[in-house]
Amino acid sequence: MKRIENRYALAFVYLLLTCYALFSVIPFFWTTIQSFKTPRQANSRAPLFIFEPTADNYTDLWLKAIPGDPMLVVIILVAIFGLLVMVAINAKRFPLAPGIIYLAVLAVGFFVLLQIPEYVKTQTFYDYFLNTIIVTAGTICISISIGCLAGYGLARYSGIAGVIILVAALGFRSLPGMSYILPYWWFGQRSGLYDTHILLIITLVAINQPFTIWMLRSFFMNIPKEIEESAMVDGANRLTAFISVIIPIMWPGIISTALFTLLLAYSDFLLVRILTQSNWTLTVAISKYAGGEDPGHITLGAAAAVSAAVPIIIVVFIFQGQLVKGLTSGAVKG
Amino acid sequence: MSPSLLVMLTLMVFPLLTSVWLSMQYMTFRNINEPEFVGLANYVAVFEDLKFWNAFSFTMTYIAITVPMYISTGFLIAVLLDQVSRRIRGIYIAAFLMPFIVVPVVGTLMVKQLFESGGLVAWAYRAIIGSRFILTEQSVKSLIIIHALWAATPFPLIVFFAGLQTLPDELVEASMIDGATRLRQVRHIMIPHLRSLFVFVGLISIMDAYRVFDSVFVLTEQNPIYKAEVMMLYTFRTAMSVQRLGKANAMSVITVVMILVVLVPFLLRTYKEQTEER
Repeated sequence: MKRIENRYALAFVYLLLTCYALFSVIPFFWTTIQSFKTPRQANSRAPLFIFEPTADNYTDLWLKAIPGDPMLVVIILVAIFGLLVMVAINAKRFPLAPGIIYLAVLAVGFFVLLQIPEYVKTQTFYDYFLNTIIVTAGTICISISIGCLAGYGLARYSGIAGVIILVAALGFRSLPGMSYILPYWWFGQRSGLYDTHILLIITLVAINQPFTIWMLRSFFMNIPKEIEESAMVDGANRLTAFISVIIPIMWPGIISTALFTLLLAYSDFLLVRILTQSNWTLTVAISKYAGGEDPGHITLGAAAAVSAAVPIIIVVFIFQGQLVKGLTSGAVKG
Repeated sequence: MSPSLLVMLTLMVFPLLTSVWLSMQYMTFRNINEPEFVGLANYVAVFEDLKFWNAFSFTMTYIAITVPMYISTGFLIAVLLDQVSRRIRGIYIAAFLMPFIVVPVVGTLMVKQLFESGGLVAWAYRAIIGSRFILTEQSVKSLIIIHALWAATPFPLIVFFAGLQTLPDELVEASMIDGATRLRQVRHIMIPHLRSLFVFVGLISIMDAYRVFDSVFVLTEQNPIYKAEVMMLYTFRTAMSVQRLGKANAMSVITVVMILVVLVPFLLRTYKEQTEER
């Protein structure tokens, strides 16, 4: 479209956009600065921008005691995770299928994370971090496998019932969370599943299912019917055609959906707050720093907020292409 | 298709029915296993509960203030962003999306950091107004609204921006030749072009604002003194702090029935779209 040519008008446009961009970013900027201050510095009368940064808030948050040889631990961890990242980046050069390599890298990485408390005295915050990984990974695996079958079925089935199911799913997704979380709480209390990962995963799958079905269906709709038909002419039945022909084409769509499921599962607060007693995830753990009399809660809270934000920013950064694709495909109607 | 249907039924419909059943019981944490049937007494209690109606009116105020505010801000920024050259857009979009990507609770905590003692905005407040920034009913409510503007604008912004990209250039050029001003272009070309998106974003935003919980929970520190409770938070407190589970379920049934006013048109619209698409 034809752009503004008047120089002053254009400068005004940039000024407004920059102001709004600053408004979006300042909380991140400020919280990160606060997280490297001592409580005294953070409470100073005028805001401090130049100071000697301290990592105390992060060590207090994550560790019970600093290991005797901190550099050694850091070097070992950097070496292990650096190696894993290298393997993942070069996955295509191995003789195995890249998917298997990625899975193996994730499994080894998770195993290492589980082993860390054996060697380093970690705070409960680390346990919440592990809980978050377990719950998020479980939710993604289950809701993607169910969602693929359902989305594929609904994309190929053209009857009116399919539309009704889709619309009903959207309706469930839009309801206030309390209406199904309280029954799940009651179910958890009766069955003894309260405060377990399993109950969290079941509930998160329930909440995310409508969304994954919608999104995966819209991706399946883009795959022409002729592809699996030709596979079936060659003697494959529908299931083998689905697994060996459709799923490989679908990977980008599946990753995109998994990314949004991850964002949803990682960020859910109300549900985890109600369904757990002590097995919190990060979001619930950091809400504890929202207020308090202790002057340390500001800097510790800042460190907690940054710690919870960094993993999600890394994931988004790696998969930014898929995120944009998902957002612009109009599939995000949750 | 049938296994997924079964999963959906058990995971979603069943809890909703359970909620209706629970709403007719008297239940605290002590008698979870043998609740006492009380019929519609919980509903009567909810309708007579002034705090519930306070929460209802604050939720409605919240929707009435924030939804038009962030939809218009999103639209304005999208129109401005459309004027900027392609190379620079990416940087702006990355900045605009930050509040959208970050977890709601974390985002709220980050906004709150600005207002803590020693925070950037708290300092500016003292420099300009002269008194300390303290949490009062008014300031907590304004904080909630400022946070909503910060956190919720990216969604309409991105949707409108994507919509503007589909606007045919010829239409705009023709209007330029006819001597239309920028403002009239926005009024007579862009807004009609985006009309269906406005409806879509509006309905979604109302439903999201209606079930707002995380930000209010963090910003009020669960303290009812600020009278800034939304319906979800009051239901939460009734269930988890006051331990009136039957009443809390009655509340959530009522909130679900109330939102149907917006939900039903939204679903009908989607249904029509989908049947036309086939």
